[in-house]
Parts: sequence; C-alpha cells; structure tokens
Amino acid sequence: MAGKVLTITSGKGGVGKSTTSANLALGLALSGKKVVAIDLDIGLRNLDMILGLENRIVYDVVNIVEKTCKLNQALIKDKRTENLFLIAAAQTRDKSAVTSEQIKELAEELKKDYDYIILDSPAGIEGGFKNAMEPADEVIIVTTPEISAVRDADRVIGILEANSKTETNLIINRIDPTLVKRGDMMSKDDVLQVLSIPLIGIIPEDKNIVSYTNIGEPSILHKDSKSGMAYKNIIQRLLGKNVEFMEITEDKKGFFQNLVSLFKE
Amino acid sequence: MHMMENVTIKGKNFLGFEIEINADDLEEIKKGLDIVIASSVHLIKNSIVTLRFTEDNKQFANDILNYLKGKNIDINAVVVDDKNNLQSSVPVIELKNIHLLSDSHKQQPATYKGNLRNGQEIRVNGDLIIAGNVNPNSYVYATGNIFVLGKLYGIPHAGYGGNNDSMIFAFDLNPPQIRIGNLITRSPEEGVSVKQNNNMVFEVAYAENNSIVISSYDEWLKLKN
Repeated sequence: MAGKVLTITSGKGGVGKSTTSANLALGLALSGKKVVAIDLDIGLRNLDMILGLENRIVYDVVNIVEKTCKLNQALIKDKRTENLFLIAAAQTRDKSAVTSEQIKELAEELKKDYDYIILDSPAGIEGGFKNAMEPADEVIIVTTPEISAVRDADRVIGILEANSKTETNLIINRIDPTLVKRGDMMSKDDVLQVLSIPLIGIIPEDKNIVSYTNIGEPSILHKDSKSGMAYKNIIQRLLGKNVEFMEITEDKKGFFQNLVSLFKE
Repeated sequence: MHMMENVTIKGKNFLGFEIEINADDLEEIKKGLDIVIASSVHLIKNSIVTLRFTEDNKQFANDILNYLKGKNIDINAVVVDDKNNLQSSVPVIELKNIHLLSDSHKQQPATYKGNLRNGQEIRVNGDLIIAGNVNPNSYVYATGNIFVLGKLYGIPHAGYGGNNDSMIFAFDLNPPQIRIGNLITRSPEEGVSVKQNNNMVFEVAYAENNSIVISSYDEWLKLKN
C-alpha cells in the first residue's frame, strides 16, 4: 500500500485545524480507508479530545521517535471504526522534542500500512509547522473568512510554495451567510481572490461544534449537522469524486418546520 | 548664498527624519545638535531618526550617539557612504551599495510570474514586471519602474536608491504605502473594508514636485504624451 500524507495547517490558531483533522480522519476511515491521524501540536494537544480518545493515551508521538515504545503501542484505535488510529501529541514536552526528519521517517513507515496519514499541524510558521509540512504529499489550508486568518494563510501558502509543496487545497471554515449578506464578512470569492489556490470545501458556521468537541464526537457523526455535511462533501472530493459545492444559506425555518418543532416540544 | 548649517534636520528618510551632520569638529556638531533638538524635540522623539555622517566626520559617530543618548534621544540608524573605519552602536546604512544598485539601471526588465505572498519580497535592479498578484504584507523593490499585472496590495518601492522619476503601474493599485525614490506616501485612513472593489481602474503612481501622485492610467497617458 502506498499511503498519502495529508497535512492540515493554517498559520493562524483557532481557525479549526484540529476539528478539520478529526472530521477528515474519521470521514475517510468511515468510507473504508485506513487512516492514522497524528497530532503534532506537541505541548498543546487537542485532537485526542475532539476524537473522544483522550482517556486511551498511553504512549505518544515523542515516545515513538525516542523509541521508548513500539509504533503499534502508540497507535490508539478509534472506538467507532476499525480503520482509524490516532497518534497523540506529548503534553509534557514542546515542539522541539521531534524533528521533521523523524516525522518524515514515521510517515514513510506508516505509508506501508495506511491509505492516509493525517498530520494535524500546530499554529504558526516555526518548527512545529515545519515538522508537519515537510513530510506532506498534500496540504490542506484551513482559514476563516477574516482578514487576519486569510493573511496568515497567504503567508503559509508562500512558505509551502517555496518548499515545492504545490499540492495545496483550501477549506474556508465558519462562513456565516447572514454576515456575508450584510457585507460584514468576506465571501468565499473574496477569500479565493487573495489566496488563489483550489477550494476543496466551505464549512458553514456551526454553533454545535463546541458541544461536539465536549463529547468527543466530530460533526461528521451527526446526521443533521450542516458542518458535518460539508465535511462529508470534502471527503468525497478527496476520494476523487466531483461533488458540487453546497449553497450556504441562512437558517430560516419554514412553516412546516416550525410546526414540527412545535409538536416536538 | 545660504550657509551650510553645522547640523540640519530633513524629512527625507522613508519613515521619519534624518539629521545631517555637516561640521567636522565635535564641539561644533554638539552645538548644532543642541539647536536642532531645541527646535524639533517633539518630531525627533516620535519618529524614526537616522544620523547622516560624511566621510570627514564619521569618526565622531559613537561620541555623538552617546551624547544624544545622554539627552534621552535614541537614533535608529547611522547613514554613511562607506562603513569602513566606522564605529557605531546602532545599525549602519551604507549608501555605497544602494548607489551601486541604481547605477546598473539600464537593463532588461526582470519578470516574476506568480503571486507574491505575505512575507515574501523581491529586489531587482532596473524595471520589474510581475505577472500575478502582490498580496498584503509583501514587498517589492526595484531601482527602476514596477509594473504589476494584477493586484498590488503589498508595498512597492520603485526607484529604490533615490530615482524619483520611477513609476508604479498596477491593474488594481491599492497598497498601504507607496514608495518612489526617496518619497513615501500612505493610503488614506479608511476603515479596512471586506467589500469587493468592483470598479477597478488601472492606476499609475509617480512623483511630481516631491510628492507622490496617483492617477488613472488613462489620465496619465494624456498627461505624459
């Protein structure tokens, strides 16, 4: 098997890298691909929580590269699918505990047995980001429609291009149609005009993300979730299918929906 | 005829003021500085200030930096023609190199294809053509003219090294600052808008009477031909 290393990065923090990593990893696994997600935000780990695997961590990525455990011991199996494994970040160390060479080596090793190795990059453009960038075959850049996030994404794309990482795709996260309509938020087109790389997904603002994170269930598991739907479309596109972009519209309840919710109460 | 002052202050560097030291005697220089400080202390303390020395008085650089430090005035950089034999506790700008850049002015334009992204910069001798967008927080320096066949949202410096006859062209000219030769201007303080600019007009920036003028390309064509 010749797997693919898919790095999720953004430059700016808090735009949804880990949420995206969790959803894509789980989504690809649920579509039958063998997936390992590696949290490279060493010292500030989150991915384990978002995937709801926090209490299963015994060994982490630093243990692997320092060879204080076997690779298999650090692979945490997901509780929903046989196809997904997580390698957690060490929490008591920092980004300098691993080198990009070590991560590259680890990724090469995993490529033999897995279809996708998803690297969840830390924010910033320093060592931790480089550890996630250098092994990448493909990079997904996550941004929100805010000028600061878009600027940072642009910086990151520049660095990727300078390092011959040209397989890049963009996810615009947390689009709020009401704000875009009022002209208070950059639209999809505004963002694309600045960044000019291919778009692979638009995720609508979803207030439930917070509670999904709290319970460790990514939105892709929730059938009625709009963001989950958008992530499912991204999975299809990653798998080479041509899926139309979802029209993101304002949440207006129709007459019948109002009626239904009345009965529910 | 106007007598050369011992020390003069000029609003000539890109972001603030330059104090020119003309006298060759340390005591004269200090006297001159006292006069300048007395009249312009507010300007000096709130700007980026450089000290310009000649080959004949650069040996006093450190004495003068210390003298100013004693008066609570910090200098950002020292400007000299040649930094040989110069002792300075602050960064040194050597004009020799910048002149070298502008001497090699008459040559083929350089071209760059692709987008210049946040944090990237290009420096060229002569004219520069960019086929792509120049994104915010990127920098473009050319000793000659700059032509951007795309959006110019980064910071351009045409005529780098002092050629005020240079011009800047862009399909969409909207940088936060424009620098031409030794002039600088910044964009008006409007709130940052996320709305799209739909009525795009090709624009040109050039220098006239020591200030930077922006006009539409059509107007510029009429003016210059």
